[in-house]
Amino acid sequence: MIESLLGFAAIFTLALLRVPLAFAMGIVGVAGIGLTRGWMPALASTAQVVHETGFAYTLSVIPLFILMGNFVARAGLAHELFAAAYAFIGHFRGGLAHATVAACAGFGAICGSSIATAATMSKVAYPSMKKMGYSDSLSTGVMAAGGTLGIMIPPSTIMVIYGIITETNIGKLFAAGVIPGILTALLMMAGIAVITARDPEHAPPGERTSWPNRWKALRGIWGVILLVIVVLGGIYGGIFTATEGAGFGAAGAFLFALARRRLTWAILYQVLVESARTTAMLFTLLIAATIFANFVNFTSMPGDLKDWITHLGLSPIMIISAMMLIYVVLGTVMEELTMVLLTIPLFFPIVTALGFDPVWFGVLIVMIVQIGLISPPVGMNLFVLNALLPGVGLGAIFRGCWPFVVVMIFVLGLLIAFPQLSLWLPSLMQ
Amino acid sequence: MRKLLEHFCGALCAVALFAIMALTFFDVGGRKLLSQSIPGSLELTELLMVVVIFAGLPLVSSRGEHVIFDSLDSVWPVWFVKMQRALVHVLCAGLMLTLAYLMWNTAGQFAANGDITAQLKIPKAPFIYSMALLCGITGLLHLALIAQPARTLQEGEGVAL
Repeated sequence: MIESLLGFAAIFTLALLRVPLAFAMGIVGVAGIGLTRGWMPALASTAQVVHETGFAYTLSVIPLFILMGNFVARAGLAHELFAAAYAFIGHFRGGLAHATVAACAGFGAICGSSIATAATMSKVAYPSMKKMGYSDSLSTGVMAAGGTLGIMIPPSTIMVIYGIITETNIGKLFAAGVIPGILTALLMMAGIAVITARDPEHAPPGERTSWPNRWKALRGIWGVILLVIVVLGGIYGGIFTATEGAGFGAAGAFLFALARRRLTWAILYQVLVESARTTAMLFTLLIAATIFANFVNFTSMPGDLKDWITHLGLSPIMIISAMMLIYVVLGTVMEELTMVLLTIPLFFPIVTALGFDPVWFGVLIVMIVQIGLISPPVGMNLFVLNALLPGVGLGAIFRGCWPFVVVMIFVLGLLIAFPQLSLWLPSLMQ
Repeated sequence: MRKLLEHFCGALCAVALFAIMALTFFDVGGRKLLSQSIPGSLELTELLMVVVIFAGLPLVSSRGEHVIFDSLDSVWPVWFVKMQRALVHVLCAGLMLTLAYLMWNTAGQFAANGDITAQLKIPKAPFIYSMALLCGITGLLHLALIAQPARTLQEGEGVAL
């Protein structure tokens, strides 16, 4: 127990001293195994982890989904998605804000990144909202919060990572995210309705679009619909594994960008290298997290923690709620990927010991990450919007995101109270 | 020199990643539609993954895209941050060079055993040697970066979530 606690303390100290997290986890993991079990086993197991993680066919799902998202972002589909969403719901009060959330949800179905979704939407939705007189805090809040749908609605990078480190079926995780994702989008829209009712002049309704024009707008997004049906439908239907679906989706998105004449050699190269860099960064983290988790599992900590918690005599649901509370608080100040990689080796054994479904816990983790990404003071979506929209201050963005943080904490409560929201769809899969 | 390295590694991982995509697409498409798969596509993907990850590594280090906590930067005095940066590079270099040495030895064992992939009989050792080399290059790069001014990352650059 003490060894692991020292290990965690060492990682935090190194990280606070600006050592990249992957290196901090790796160093502490190797040193930990070295000191408790001997240096030869430590080095041998490190070489084995590096080698096995490098040569893993199933892990190619990571670069392929990242690549798919990057191609889609370059294909300029976001414009059509936004136009289609606006054609259907733009005439309500706050129509542009509603359309932004809907377009984010649609974009999330082909992109697994929250940052990319928010960044792409900021180029499409912000200019229209600015022109119609929307306040900066409402428009940025909507884009930051809507962007996080990118990781709940499958595909999702964080679900893939969770699936890999906990050995949970990625296809089931993807299925589990669909209803919570749509529910979050709907409740965000309800939130917008409440906000705009209090301040109607900052969110004027748009003109109603005629039905023929609505159908025309829908035709603009046939490519997105096709990709979603083939990739996600294929994974749910058991036709593809997640890895195969990712490869198909990436190639589809590539052909799509090509057909829309959005690809030059330079852009193609940039998209590929960008995706490879993100992959390399994620794999160093994955390798380091595995080494560190190996060390933690050698110690008595997971067992001790499990015993301690079961002896507290709390009901399982109270334990989960306490965990989530810890996560929400941690998420305000910590980078979310770090938080997940560091805590899963400790929390996951407890969750399974309490008899909870790993798929359900995965959905909760994604929701936690979503909340963390938009909760000040440290929320990556907020920083990205701040960087992309130089005219908008961080203060306005912080003010704009609070209502959505509240909405998402409410959704988290619903997901805890009603596990079937997450588990019904995956239960239909073979 | 650094530019050359970035171009070389960039080209390597771009080609490898595109190949993985094309391979998966044609393999799966062929298997589902024509009941004909590409022989050894699984193994090729594994080998190419090694190239994507380890050729991407020097790029991530060179651009400073690893996940770090930099929230405390404004708290420390400037000289402290400078010294900290140098020490961190030394630590990262040490770790990467150790890893390079470890992987070089592992590659040696694979070469001695004559390990090959199951279907296409491609020897694995050269790929593990290149893992080792690229880790070594990343280590040296961290040493070279000590002398360079810190690069400020754009928000969202290199973020995966």
